[in-house]
Amino acid sequence: MGLTSFAVDELGDVVFVELPEVGAKYEQGESICTVESVKASSAVYAPVGGEVIEVNSSVKESPEKLNKDPFGESWLVKLKVANHDHLKSLLSASDYEGLVEQSKH
Amino acid sequence: MGLVKYRDALELQAKLVECRRQGSISDTLLSLQHPPTFTVGKRRTVHNIVSSPEVLESIGAEVHYTERGGDVTFHGPGQAILYPIISLREAKLGARRYVEGLEDTMIKLCALHKIKAKGRMTKETGVWVENRKIGAIGVRISGGGIASHGLAFNINPDLNFYTHIIPCGIPDKEVTSLHKESFLQLPDEDPVTQQLIKCFIEVFGYEDVTWKTT
Repeated sequence: MGLTSFAVDELGDVVFVELPEVGAKYEQGESICTVESVKASSAVYAPVGGEVIEVNSSVKESPEKLNKDPFGESWLVKLKVANHDHLKSLLSASDYEGLVEQSKH
Repeated sequence: MGLVKYRDALELQAKLVECRRQGSISDTLLSLQHPPTFTVGKRRTVHNIVSSPEVLESIGAEVHYTERGGDVTFHGPGQAILYPIISLREAKLGARRYVEGLEDTMIKLCALHKIKAKGRMTKETGVWVENRKIGAIGVRISGGGIASHGLAFNINPDLNFYTHIIPCGIPDKEVTSLHKESFLQLPDEDPVTQQLIKCFIEVFGYEDVTWKTT
């Protein structure tokens, strides 16, 4: 999981990323990591419940990478999904884009 | 709200954030001052507190570790603090635009007193008069996009307190205040604080405002 390009644009230049511990378990919607930019520390939520299997330490070392390639190199956390039903509650890329467009008005 | 201890303000904000998230209250702004207090942000940049805990205790200051963004700063009497508890989601504001709005609030207040201040300084968020910092910002965005903490504007605090820290982690810049920058006769703190709140209301476009005093 990570942030979308819309989200990083809204945040501004990222200066700090706090990632969870590998092995930690989170519920869907629980705050799983924190991203700081322009003096605003923002919580990031687990889109599905699960166990952290890997975190992207290169983003922790160079947080500004998040602004450049959020969909690719700058992923944040890999989760082992606890309940596959949660996946059904997520938006598809095109649904999300629709929401973003709406929010601009 | 007058002088409020940092811990008490944190507890109040946590309650308000929860109420705001649930929709039982609308956007709320706290206006207060703190007794001498040094605070550290989420990044825990404790190395920017220069003086030892014993020295800080001897001058009557507390130290608090917070979940807000930003580095080390000082709060104290003479400094106006605004803690807006607002739903960024409902306001359709991203973190960056919200922080810019907080900068604009303080810039607007400075302009009322004929002081030219600026914000939008890359990597140095806050409000500056030339290269002297007059206003600081530190925000926390919690579940549901609810913002807490906010801004601190120096009307006339004792600037000597800042010698105990490297403010905001920026070593070679001064801290200043409205009193220090203004050549005009300034009104008392209360009217200036009222003006600051009005600037916030104007910048963020609030229309239906209820004022309460506690």
